[in-house]
Amino acid sequence: MLNRILISVMTLTAALLMSVGVAAAFDDAQYPNLKGQWIRERAPAGVTGQGPFDPTKSWGHAQQAPLTPEYKAKFEESLADQAEGGPGFWPGARCLPPGMPAMMTNFRPMEIIVKPETTWILIDHIHETHRRIFTDGRRWPEWVEPTFDGYSIGQWIDTDGDGRYDVLEVETRHFKGPRTFEPSGMPLHDDNKTVIKERIYLDKADPNLLHDEMTVVDSALTKPWSVDKKFRRVKEARPYWPEDICAEGQAMIHVGKETYWVAGDGHLMPVKKGQAPPDLRYFKQPPK
Amino acid sequence: MRSLIVAIALVAALLGRSDGAQAFDESKYPDWKGQWRRAEAGPPRYDPSKPLREQQAPLTEEYRAIYAASIADQLAGGQGNDPTYTCLAPGMPRIMNVYDPLEIVITPETTYFLIQHIHDSRRIFTDGRNFPEEVEPLFAGYSIGKWIDSDGDGRYDTLEVETRNMRGPRAFDGLGLPLHRDNQTVIKERIYAEKADPNMIINEITTIDNALTRPWTATKKYRRVSTEQPVWPEAACAEGNVHVEIGGQNYFLSADGFLMPARKDQAPPSLKYFDQSQR
Repeated sequence: MLNRILISVMTLTAALLMSVGVAAAFDDAQYPNLKGQWIRERAPAGVTGQGPFDPTKSWGHAQQAPLTPEYKAKFEESLADQAEGGPGFWPGARCLPPGMPAMMTNFRPMEIIVKPETTWILIDHIHETHRRIFTDGRRWPEWVEPTFDGYSIGQWIDTDGDGRYDVLEVETRHFKGPRTFEPSGMPLHDDNKTVIKERIYLDKADPNLLHDEMTVVDSALTKPWSVDKKFRRVKEARPYWPEDICAEGQAMIHVGKETYWVAGDGHLMPVKKGQAPPDLRYFKQPPK
Repeated sequence: MRSLIVAIALVAALLGRSDGAQAFDESKYPDWKGQWRRAEAGPPRYDPSKPLREQQAPLTEEYRAIYAASIADQLAGGQGNDPTYTCLAPGMPRIMNVYDPLEIVITPETTYFLIQHIHDSRRIFTDGRNFPEEVEPLFAGYSIGKWIDSDGDGRYDTLEVETRNMRGPRAFDGLGLPLHRDNQTVIKERIYAEKADPNMIINEITTIDNALTRPWTATKKYRRVSTEQPVWPEAACAEGNVHVEIGGQNYFLSADGFLMPARKDQAPPSLKYFDQSQR
């Protein structure tokens, strides 16, 4: 009798397991729970500036970026332009995507979707970013159209052998520019040969704290530059996802290499003292 | 008896989970993975069954006049009623014209429509929520969806969506076919794969808007591309955009870096805030 029950139970098990196999259920418990809305972790006391690349230091000179002399000079040029009222080299001032690595400063809320083949990082800041990290085992394609976000290949790792992935290791290549590390305009190299390596994982002691240990290898740097970016999960179960439309209410316009303001009354204004107006050679009528 | 307990424990271990978490059973949802493109030839438009210039939209008289003015302005070199030329988001329902490749990511709580065009992505919440009482309007609107098992086979096949809470300006298409300025638009969609062709998605879309004399329904189709690892292009609207708007007027940026008129005999922008001696 017992044997018959045993056989029945085993048959039921087999039947159920077969159905599970056919269904190819995605067992999300194999992956860390990264659901929800993530915002940049509050900066330590004394750290200033809008979204510094190394979150432990204020933006600008305090970052102590290991820039080559050539790129140190470019960086000074950007800071000088900003001091005069210009946008410097920050591409966001032109509504261009920040791209990698600046996008991971998380200027706006971030959502992470994890599936076996791809992890998506969605950030709606200036540009509606859908960063795709391919985790399907693919190799680097022979040819990739360069992008501001780059092409990312990742691998999930079970570092502590508990049968669940806990770290996403990512390498990103194939960029285009211009890109800067932060809004101060600290530049990456014009050759766009940047390689970025990341280890993304939840804090062991705090599952609402996400780390992104990032190392940037770039020809504008004398050595690889590593930082630990941190993101905090918001408590709301159904958070609000704002839309960030850069062009909406954009008061800066760019003509050639010059930037101008559009005043509230719709007229052009200089952004810097003594700035020349735009050349209107293509208009027949004189300006009013 | 011990064998029975072991067997039952095995079943429990294999089928259940000690952490109470539920595996996401993807097979309950349609397989819409991959890259989708608009199936119809010709320029993107609301009703793909009709040419762009012959949409026969049921516009009110007031909005018919706005549409006519938009077309006339475009013929004169302007941008008419199309707000996207300065990289403003197209919003709903224009997003679903699918200008650039579409990816659909399904999770139990949310279905994501990811389109990298100007600013065209959507979240469709399927977690059973109601419309919030107060929500900041969005160009894409606030979308709540429900998965339906229409043929009772135990698998969802249709996503029903309602979208509200929009802001503007928005137009149905590049000709500037207008939606009402009050932004009270309500959009209903039924999205499903064709029974005979799982690589074709149908979107039955109905727009209710005060610019229209009646709800306007169209059937859009999206075809799955056959490439296994498709290229996902990055569209950065501001990159190389040659249009600028100054004081409500649109101008071109010439290749040599100067402002240019967008229409014949257009006056240049005022330079009254510049030092007169520098002109």
